[in-house]
Amino acid sequence: MVTLAIAKQTLEEMLRRKILLILLIVAVAMIALGPSVGFLSPRESSAVLRSLGLAVILLAGLLITVLTGIQVIPTEIERRTIYTVLSKPVQRYEFVLGKFLGGLFTVFVMVASMGIVFLGVLRYQEGRFAPEMAQGVMMTFFQMTLLGALAIFFSTFATPVVNFFITFGLFIVGNLSSVTESLLQNKNIATRLVASAVHYAIPNFGNFNIQNKLIHPQVVIKNMNMFIMQNITYSLIYSAVLLILAIIVFDRREV
Amino acid sequence: MHPATRRNLILALVPLAIVAVFLQTRIDPTVADLNRGSRTPFAGLSTEFILGPLLGMQQAVAGLLWVRADEFFHEGDYDAILPMVRMVTWLDPHNLDVYITGAWHLAYNFTDASERSDRRYIPAAQKLLEEGDANNSGVYDIAFELGWQNTDKIKDYARAHHWYRLCAYERKGADAGGELTQPVPMFVWHQLAHSLARLGRIDECIEVWRKALAMSNELVRKDPKDYSRRNVRDSERHNLELTLKRKFSRYAHEIDWTLDSKRTRSTDPVTGSPTPMDACLFLSSQEIQRKAEQFRAVSAPAPAMSVGSPRPPAVVPQWETAFDVRPTFSADKVLDLKGQFNVGDGARVTIRLHDEKWRPPQLQAFTFNIDQDVTLMQDQHSVRQGTWGRKIDMSKDPKMYSFKSERYFLVFEFDPRGTSPFVQDRFGWSGEGMTDRKYLHVETDKNPPNRILRKVYRITRAQVLRREPITEADVFPSSEYVALQWGGPSRPDER
Repeated sequence: MVTLAIAKQTLEEMLRRKILLILLIVAVAMIALGPSVGFLSPRESSAVLRSLGLAVILLAGLLITVLTGIQVIPTEIERRTIYTVLSKPVQRYEFVLGKFLGGLFTVFVMVASMGIVFLGVLRYQEGRFAPEMAQGVMMTFFQMTLLGALAIFFSTFATPVVNFFITFGLFIVGNLSSVTESLLQNKNIATRLVASAVHYAIPNFGNFNIQNKLIHPQVVIKNMNMFIMQNITYSLIYSAVLLILAIIVFDRREV
Repeated sequence: MHPATRRNLILALVPLAIVAVFLQTRIDPTVADLNRGSRTPFAGLSTEFILGPLLGMQQAVAGLLWVRADEFFHEGDYDAILPMVRMVTWLDPHNLDVYITGAWHLAYNFTDASERSDRRYIPAAQKLLEEGDANNSGVYDIAFELGWQNTDKIKDYARAHHWYRLCAYERKGADAGGELTQPVPMFVWHQLAHSLARLGRIDECIEVWRKALAMSNELVRKDPKDYSRRNVRDSERHNLELTLKRKFSRYAHEIDWTLDSKRTRSTDPVTGSPTPMDACLFLSSQEIQRKAEQFRAVSAPAPAMSVGSPRPPAVVPQWETAFDVRPTFSADKVLDLKGQFNVGDGARVTIRLHDEKWRPPQLQAFTFNIDQDVTLMQDQHSVRQGTWGRKIDMSKDPKMYSFKSERYFLVFEFDPRGTSPFVQDRFGWSGEGMTDRKYLHVETDKNPPNRILRKVYRITRAQVLRREPITEADVFPSSEYVALQWGGPSRPDER
């Protein structure tokens, strides 16, 4: 209950932040304007509209997640409101989990809003509901779940600026999972070892990029539902690892 | 936190990490499938486009690049399009239109001052399509384009047939939801039938038309109000009947097509024989006299012919084409051709000039880089009233026609398989009805054998630069030329 109360308070606080609302409004406007770009590419207008829509949701979701994740704990410390919270019968792990869930709810509200607008635009433009695109929005959300956990972990010991660059950098490296995966077959053993370390230790954000399948229906995946389930499980398990690490680090931190 | 709780949490990390690694090993193969054909996401991109792929937005960047490439196309800046095509296919290897449009640019849009294509790019165009097809092997689109390019641009009907057949029998179309459950469109079957006709395999061609007609009949039965399907069905019926009739006329009894349209009421669905037979009968003694003269001209024995008796097949007797050409260079690199060809108006002679050592390249992988030192020119010209002639100026395009080689082959060719149906009505699908005293080359290893007319000159750079004249002493044996080019007695049917 304590955790949920902190999460609710965090969500309310985040939704009051103008920067996040501006990001949401800009993203929704860009999605709504998507059809005006799509017609420029003959015969591929649908693919352009879909890819741009998913890209906008990903980009906005990324900024919202990072801005939320890097600030929720340091802001409490900076404003010294954390003393008030922790002086109550609140465990530190409850505080960390509450902050994470609050941030996650914020991201969910934002991504879901953009997703609904996106599906509406597609319905208007293509004349049919495209439920498969909801899969793309859902995968973006679980990608952001993992990213949020990463940001929360670093926020337990790093300043927001440092955290911003580390999280953003790891997101980029994690997006190159197809590159690190191909390096696993490299003849050079040292390259293989480094690639293995990077590939399995750093969260693979590239796993969640299923735009190829969603934009080009001819791409055949043996079992799409299984693939999505594997990714969701991966996101939840990796997030759990990061949150446990965050709890352990934050528990020892002097505040 | 209690030390025991901390220890338990740390211990819990181990199985969670193991599960995460295990999941990653299960996810990797599918991710590899999704990214099949794509390259390092930032390869070759300018800085403003790098961030997108790094953040996992390859498709969006590919879409924007494609929009930009479209702008270049409308500005006529074809050179700028190709690198973008390459980048888009790397970023988004499932964008079919990019492969198809890129290959079209390569094969068709690089031209000399007289709008002749730079055919050195054709192998690259084919390779780009093959790469696209390998990355999208479930759908028919790119394989169909390979078939079409081989039909329309390269005139390699055997390869065209290979791709059309693959499309028709092994590929699928997407339904409204994007699932690959639909049969390929009927035009794929139509092109398959046309490619078989171009290969002279008429019985197989007729079978494909019958199959297509049966499929269309079924579709019309399911939705009788679909006028588009009914139109397709009617076209198939017409093409089937016409092919049967043409086979009958060319190889059984020649049909007078003007009379056929007026008097024939029905066509036998198996033999193509018209009912009544009026259109294939000698109706006057003048017609018999004209036919008898044709037999005399080639010293062939004439069958018994009387008014009311059926005409012999259109390809009998064989027609002496008297194919010949006199090439000269009227100025440096300006080829002046004057030819004769005893054939109906509209037949087209192919003219090809290339380095002596040039061979059709077999690319292992796609590349834009072509050998700029190679000279390769190909053109076609129509015959009018038994003669043809043309001036081909290669002096204005030194990048396309560098003439760096010492020796060249200058080839003049007529392939009955690629000619118009009304010319084939006299010569047959594989040239059965034509002969030539000097330049007939029979491709006996093909089934059915194909009878090609080909005159080959082996000339030197000095002749191209008008320092020496081209004479009949420069004529090179056609069979040796074919052996040099394709390493066998004829162009291979399937490569």
